[in-house]
Amino acid sequence: MGSQIQPEEEDEVSELLAVVLDTSFNSALIKEKNVGQLLDAVVIFSNAHLMNSSKNTLAVVACHPHTAKMIYPVKKDSIQNIRPPDAQMEILAHATQVIRDGIKEVVTSWQGVYSIEPLLTGGMALALCYIAKRMANTVGKLNGRILVLSSSGESAHQYLNFMNVFFAAQRKAIVVDSCVIQNDCGLLQQGADITGGNYLKAPSIAGLLEYLLWVFLPPKSLRAKLVLPKPDVVDYRTACFCHRNLIEVGYVCSVCLSIFCQFAPICSTCQTHFKFIGFKQSMVKKKEQKSLQAPLL
Amino acid sequence: MADEDEQQDGYRWESEYERTWEAIREDESGNLQASVQEIVHKTRRQQLLLQKNVRLGMMRHLYVVLDLSASMNSNDLRPSRIQCVLHLLDDFVDRFYDENPISQLAIIATCNKRAEKISDLSGNPLKHKEGLAKIKDRLPTGEPSLQNSINMAAAVLQHMPAHSSREVVIILGSLTTCDPTDINETIEEAKKLGLRCSVIGLAAEVYVCRRLTEITGGSYHIVVDEDHLRELLANHLLPPPALNNIECSMVKMGFPFHKNEQEDTPALCQCHLEAAATESVHITTGGFLCPQCKSKYCELPAECRICGLTLVSAPHLARSYHHLFPLDNFKETHLLKGDTRTCFSCQSSVEGQNMYTCEKCKEEFCLDCDIFIHATLHLCPGCACKPQMN
Ligand SMILES: [Zn+2]
Ligand SMILES: [Zn+2]
Ligand SMILES: [Zn+2]
Ligand SMILES: [Zn+2]
Ligand SMILES: [Zn+2]
Repeated sequence: MGSQIQPEEEDEVSELLAVVLDTSFNSALIKEKNVGQLLDAVVIFSNAHLMNSSKNTLAVVACHPHTAKMIYPVKKDSIQNIRPPDAQMEILAHATQVIRDGIKEVVTSWQGVYSIEPLLTGGMALALCYIAKRMANTVGKLNGRILVLSSSGESAHQYLNFMNVFFAAQRKAIVVDSCVIQNDCGLLQQGADITGGNYLKAPSIAGLLEYLLWVFLPPKSLRAKLVLPKPDVVDYRTACFCHRNLIEVGYVCSVCLSIFCQFAPICSTCQTHFKFIGFKQSMVKKKEQKSLQAPLL
Repeated sequence: MADEDEQQDGYRWESEYERTWEAIREDESGNLQASVQEIVHKTRRQQLLLQKNVRLGMMRHLYVVLDLSASMNSNDLRPSRIQCVLHLLDDFVDRFYDENPISQLAIIATCNKRAEKISDLSGNPLKHKEGLAKIKDRLPTGEPSLQNSINMAAAVLQHMPAHSSREVVIILGSLTTCDPTDINETIEEAKKLGLRCSVIGLAAEVYVCRRLTEITGGSYHIVVDEDHLRELLANHLLPPPALNNIECSMVKMGFPFHKNEQEDTPALCQCHLEAAATESVHITTGGFLCPQCKSKYCELPAECRICGLTLVSAPHLARSYHHLFPLDNFKETHLLKGDTRTCFSCQSSVEGQNMYTCEKCKEEFCLDCDIFIHATLHLCPGCACKPQMN
């Protein structure tokens, strides 16, 4: 922060950070009694973001297996008179209190088992709508970004939802960062790649706050100037719809774009009947391409 | 906002002709902005209704024919017709590949009674942008030729696979066309080949265009102003309903995965071969390898230049799924004065305006969110927040 970079421009930009928090803490976290530490990290990180600039704003969404809910900012201020401890800014004390209460409310309203996936895509959709609305209603430039904090690992069931969220974010130039704890999530990694965000796996809760402050606190514009961990290669390999095998060459239905590992006369997704024409076409193309490309090398 | 505009540009009637809609924008609570937005919104909802339950041509081959005749110098669009169109086309090219990741685009210009290839049919937006940039410095001259342009497009499109939709979009400033033979034969020929020809007229309606579009199943519109032109172009971003004679098939495709940048040996990629021949050599590590012939590409989607295989990644296909499974329209209800409700997704309170309810999850959304959800997100946040809906 020491170097002053284009002071006038920086002044006008405000940052809206939406933290999408997976509150369906996996069993390992609960056993180790680390949940409190995780919440502390989230609250401190949120406060740090608000403290960076008076123009920065914050939203926090909690995702649980039965619901996803925006817990900060809240509509009606039931908690009005929070007296900040000595020298703490009022807004920080307020945010801290509201976030803690909100998480408590969401978590305690659920009696089911924790093996069910949390509704991460619901939470991200809420965050996107909120950011999009704020972007439209802000006069100056507003940078929106999302940080997903999750420890649930892979979630294959919501694939399409995830993709819709990432493409919408990309269209609106909203960065989707992801910090996963202990368990990798391939979809979140793809999302970070698609939207230009960072993806990081924190090995344990202990160092989580350092990771958050180091990798995820700086806005996108500053990250190029920092030495951040190099991203892993994103695995975009594709699985066929019929057997869930990883494939490199497959057949795609021209009507519904389902992917199959073998040619089939009928598409099992949309029931279209096919004529057997694939080969002839590609032969013609091959010849054309060759005659065009030959002189190049 | 309105104040700023006036200070910068002097008299409104001199400069801001094309932005008349922006001029009536009101403040936060004003109703004017909402009313304009609602018009746009209504057309969008209608489009969605039409789109429902129609088989779409997802694999598209689209030719854009750009009039470069003297009529394009006219400045009823700012700063001139040609500059305005070029500017919007640039945007169109980007968004086309966003919406149609496995489709291909090509550009033809027509002037001096001839048709001229600007860029080949390809899945690479850079080629088209280069082509468009080159036109920017040219002075439009002469007369356009509809027939030559359609013939040029047809010559390539007739070889495209039968399962793809073949389209021609003509942006025409001129009121005349100069053709070597009878254009009616060309129109019949186009119909036989299944070319869907659409025309966006910049001046006034012309009978031959009306006939061309009616016979080939395209659309014909005359532009009112720049916003209207943008909207008309945007209509061509969405995949059209498939014509009856389109065949369905399984298309063989490659799904290469990214090679690790550290482990890989440096190599030339196929996409920068031409550039490498002329200027600096583009040797990189990493990139996507064609699973059939192992030639390298730095970006997807691409068509393998060696073996002709279409190379995509799964997210590219996923990007198209929202056309196939569009989100249902939300139910519109008008709120009475004093009836204040909260939007489910953005938490803002709405009063005296319309509210939109998802029929599946019964959650309510404000106008802004409804537009965002249907135009960009393609996912109902209410449904996504309920476990039984997934
Ligand atoms: Zn299979
Ligand atoms: Zn199918
Ligand atoms: Zn190949
Ligand atoms: Zn809303
Ligand atoms: Zn819904």
